[in-house]
Amino acid sequence: MTQIVLKTEGLTLGYGDRAVIDDLSMAFPDRQVTSILGPNGCGKSTLLRALARLLRPSRGTVTLDGEDVFSLDTRALARRLAILPQAPNAPDGITVMELIKRGRTPWRGLLAAWSAQDLEKCTAALRHVGLGDQMDRPLNTLSGGQRQRAWIALVLAQDTPYLLLDEPTTWLDLRHQLEVLTLLRERNRRDGTTVITVLHDLNLAARYSDHLVLLGPAGLVATGAPDDVLSEDNLRHAFGLEAMVTPDPVTGTPMIVPR
Amino acid sequence: MKGTLLVIALLLLAILLSLSVGQVMIGPAALWDGLWHGSGPGALFLRVLRGPGVGTALGAGAVLGMSGAIFQILLRNPLASPDVMGFTSGAGLAAIWGVSAGIALPIPLFSAIGGLVAAGAVILLATDRNGSQPPLTLILVGLGVGFFAAAASSFIMTRLPHQEATEAQRWLTGSLAARNWGHALQVLGLGAALTFALALQVRSLALLELGDDLAAGLGTRISRSRGLLALTGVLLAATGVAVAGPLPFIALMAAPLGARLTGARHPAGRLASAAAAGAIITVLADLAARAAIPGLQLPVGVMTGILGAPYLIWLLVREMETGDL
Repeated sequence: MTQIVLKTEGLTLGYGDRAVIDDLSMAFPDRQVTSILGPNGCGKSTLLRALARLLRPSRGTVTLDGEDVFSLDTRALARRLAILPQAPNAPDGITVMELIKRGRTPWRGLLAAWSAQDLEKCTAALRHVGLGDQMDRPLNTLSGGQRQRAWIALVLAQDTPYLLLDEPTTWLDLRHQLEVLTLLRERNRRDGTTVITVLHDLNLAARYSDHLVLLGPAGLVATGAPDDVLSEDNLRHAFGLEAMVTPDPVTGTPMIVPR
Repeated sequence: MKGTLLVIALLLLAILLSLSVGQVMIGPAALWDGLWHGSGPGALFLRVLRGPGVGTALGAGAVLGMSGAIFQILLRNPLASPDVMGFTSGAGLAAIWGVSAGIALPIPLFSAIGGLVAAGAVILLATDRNGSQPPLTLILVGLGVGFFAAAASSFIMTRLPHQEATEAQRWLTGSLAARNWGHALQVLGLGAALTFALALQVRSLALLELGDDLAAGLGTRISRSRGLLALTGVLLAATGVAVAGPLPFIALMAAPLGARLTGARHPAGRLASAAAAGAIITVLADLAARAAIPGLQLPVGVMTGILGAPYLIWLLVREMETGDL
């Protein structure tokens, strides 16, 4: 029996007059990996931003443990829920460790010195993403895959039970995509972190997620386990795509083959 | 670490040079003697003739440097500084207006209000339909507001009696002539208070540097933090303007120079470096203004202008080449 803590109720989101998400009520299962899927412009990132309180809904609410996220203290929310946006800004010359340390900000007293625990969380996050021996390297000298893992280490160091990531695998080659998704799932399995990502690749999402949210041009198409969500009918509704769904020869999860 | 020592050494050297060199040369030994004894040439130059000017230059340079660093980090653009964006001109206009109208209120109050009004006007005019302010628009609108404030100051100046107009002209160029300990203590005291306020905001600045969304996710209230940082930045600049006039280019140059010298990367270190670099540039520019032409004291703003304008041109050319402009 999975517990549900993060929910949307009658959520309507839009920039200006155009509603991108209209009257969406749904739940994100706790301690699972959920991927939000859908065609370009269907509001995947918009939904994720609203979950993290980066976007104020025009109607409806996002609730965490029954409380409207907008009623929570900003810092308190930052200790429970972390978000890695799509294009964060890397300050000039910043080293990997200096970057990760900023992830501890919500836990630090206003003028407090660095505690052993803060530093331990930072090094643990770096080890987890495989950058334990790169902490003094400037971020801009790392490869694209390493850099993305450094950003992920920052939100891991934030040490929250909820971890939201907006297209964490974009711009990465396939091997690095797998690396990133593997480490997110490890984090979920080991610490019970609820991971919610926006992804583009349906097959990878099916492999690495426990739960899928499929959005289409007209809103929510389906939500549930990958086997149920990724049906030929649902794909037609969401993407206007004629595709065959067969079991992935390696993992047995649904695999989409466009016709 | 090596960089920090270098900056401290440069700062001390600049102070010493500025106290020693002028129409009359005073050696370090005489100055040292004057520090401990109330009479003699060392004491005269340290305590009366040059000390107050050097102290004022230190304070004004430091506050302008920090102000520049705040806006450059906040807007992620090396052109963003209170002098380029017209805030110092606004502060200067309000001060000259207050003095010419004979209103008996402290000058820092006028310069603070003027700086804030200018900043408010820039933000208002640069806000686009989505309610956001693109950095480049802020900078260009700021240039315009700055020109307007400078022109208005000139207009007020022409209405003043000859003697006062000459004085006002010097001040509007940026001048450290005839500063007393009152000026030095004023800028150092207000500067210290604002630096304390800034220290409490360094963490949000370090997060805002990572982009608004990530900063919000890490617990920053974006508009509030930005607003408070901008307010602190404007007040720091206005504090400098109140004692030294709208000194051009110090705020623009200090942060990049300071960061290059110390190698600081965290905003805390960059703000401290900018304060030190601003102080060094201002003290040395003041020295150059006094010593360049024997028997004539140029306004220090002439010197920072000669130094800063080429830097601005270089910066503009570079920004255009990299496509940021």
